[in-house]
Amino acid sequence: MFLALKEMQRAKVRFGLLAGAVGLLVFLILFQQALLTGLINQFIGALKNQSGEVLVYNDQARKNLEGSIILPDQQTAIASVEGVAVASPLGEATFTVVAGDEEGDAVIFGYMLDGPGAPTTLVEGRLPTTTGEAVASEKDAADGYDIGDVVEVLPEGLEITVVGLARDINYSVQPVLFVDFATFEAAKLARNPDADAVLPSAIAIEIADGSSASEVAARINAEVDGVEALTRQQAVDGSPGVSSVRSSFTIILGLFYLVVPLVTGLFFLIVTFQKASALTLLRAIGAPARTLVRSLLVQVLAVMVIGSVIAFGLYAAAIQGVENLGVQVEVMPAVITSLVVLALALVTSLVAVRRVLRIDPLAATTGAGVAL
Amino acid sequence: MTVLDMRDVRKVYRSGDADIVALDHATLHVDHGEIVALLGPSGSGKTTLLSIAGGLLTPTEGTVEVGGHDISDYSAKQLTEFRRENVGFVFQSVNLVPFLNAEENLLVVDELGGGRGGRTAKGRARQLLDELGLGHRLRNLPAQLSGGERQRVAIGRALFNNPKLVLFDEPTSALDTKLGAQVMELIRSEMKARDTAAVIVTHDSRMTEYADRTVRIVDGRLAADGATPDTAAAAKA
Repeated sequence: MFLALKEMQRAKVRFGLLAGAVGLLVFLILFQQALLTGLINQFIGALKNQSGEVLVYNDQARKNLEGSIILPDQQTAIASVEGVAVASPLGEATFTVVAGDEEGDAVIFGYMLDGPGAPTTLVEGRLPTTTGEAVASEKDAADGYDIGDVVEVLPEGLEITVVGLARDINYSVQPVLFVDFATFEAAKLARNPDADAVLPSAIAIEIADGSSASEVAARINAEVDGVEALTRQQAVDGSPGVSSVRSSFTIILGLFYLVVPLVTGLFFLIVTFQKASALTLLRAIGAPARTLVRSLLVQVLAVMVIGSVIAFGLYAAAIQGVENLGVQVEVMPAVITSLVVLALALVTSLVAVRRVLRIDPLAATTGAGVAL
Repeated sequence: MTVLDMRDVRKVYRSGDADIVALDHATLHVDHGEIVALLGPSGSGKTTLLSIAGGLLTPTEGTVEVGGHDISDYSAKQLTEFRRENVGFVFQSVNLVPFLNAEENLLVVDELGGGRGGRTAKGRARQLLDELGLGHRLRNLPAQLSGGERQRVAIGRALFNNPKLVLFDEPTSALDTKLGAQVMELIRSEMKARDTAAVIVTHDSRMTEYADRTVRIVDGRLAADGATPDTAAAAKA
């Protein structure tokens, strides 16, 4: 500790710059992770945060709710599969609405009020109890979707009153209204008055006790023709655009995860080269190799901890500034990220550790430092 | 009482198919409080001898006892501990840790020995530096000290653990004649004041006047142990 801290104390600028660089890089990782989570939630938050444990699509829909319809006989067949406690219709469609005196698009999810498909992240107000009521996203509250606001669905002017707000229930980056299925039907029929019936986009399943979502999904796929049953997580991950967004971010984040430890490892390797003579002298006067290695690792730890503190400070400041971008703050993933980066930095610093272990104290007599 | 007892020590390096003998059946005894100058030209094996005496290098043959410890067969780990506890070193050029100030360069010895640089250690470091005329330079980094001051700090560090033996490897080679003489005078007075044995490796015969005895080394072979500078010089002539 003595050697590590004294060196850092005497080279504040050098170590400060490294900690700053690490801080910036870790901040970028944290921010991009938050951006990814926020973006995905805006794409498929409504699916992720509804109560159906299994969602059944038309197998021609390619996991896209917009292109999916479930026929009545399919719904009946799904309901009879072992492990299905409740199978309820779930409707989804995009409508032109007037909210807060502004005309725009909104996605309406219709579900049976006593069945699965209800939003699970209610933060204010209540769930709908009758037709004409809706839960909206808290993110859109200021845009005419606050509790008590009335949203008008065009072209017929169907009125829906917001009675509750939920967290992270946007869909396709649009405002969402969770309404009872009858309200959804009314909105669809208003747009297409000649339709005989409004078919659900999917079936939301509540699983019976003793069964798992994946088992039930597998059974439905095996027993019912023309449908594709997905667990909630599969539905989220398979939504159009989500996997490509996720893989793009994964590549970028992967590069950052590579760069931070490499920068740290290289820095400590260079520092080890630069102070080779001092390390040789210390070995010659009786410093055990483990003492010098411990000193190096203490410095790596200190730099990474200071860098993480800087990163969290920047992260907190940045989140305040870009709230409207839908950036999603998640503390645990951020902490885990910092720990992973720290572990990787310790791994890359092993190259410097190896150099320290190779120091020959005899080199002190030649004045040549050490052959690194 | 003998502090350093080297008997029939050989050091042979293997280079391809050839053996290079760096030290050839060297026998050297240094008594308590005695200062021995090891005089020889470059490449004569004097640094090899010093390294073996200080546990930086193990001999190929022969025995080495320092302060009663037979270090001939010590492992690298044992030698590290031996150096830390029993020997003081002053090297030719690299002598101080650049990011530690003068006081800390002494305290590091205490730290390496498991101490925490407490009040006692600090008191001893300050007392030593004061005796070496550096009481006003405690907080200075090596880069802020002159060459002579740096060597004096190194002497302080070598003496910090009260070693029985201090090994000096060309301690004045980086200093001008006048400063070199001052440092040698200081080495002599400090060793005598503490009754500490010392071996001083040098190629400069003028430095031998500060030693109690001079031993010459040429091509890895020592002149007869106990020879005076005059007899050794005469023998050489």
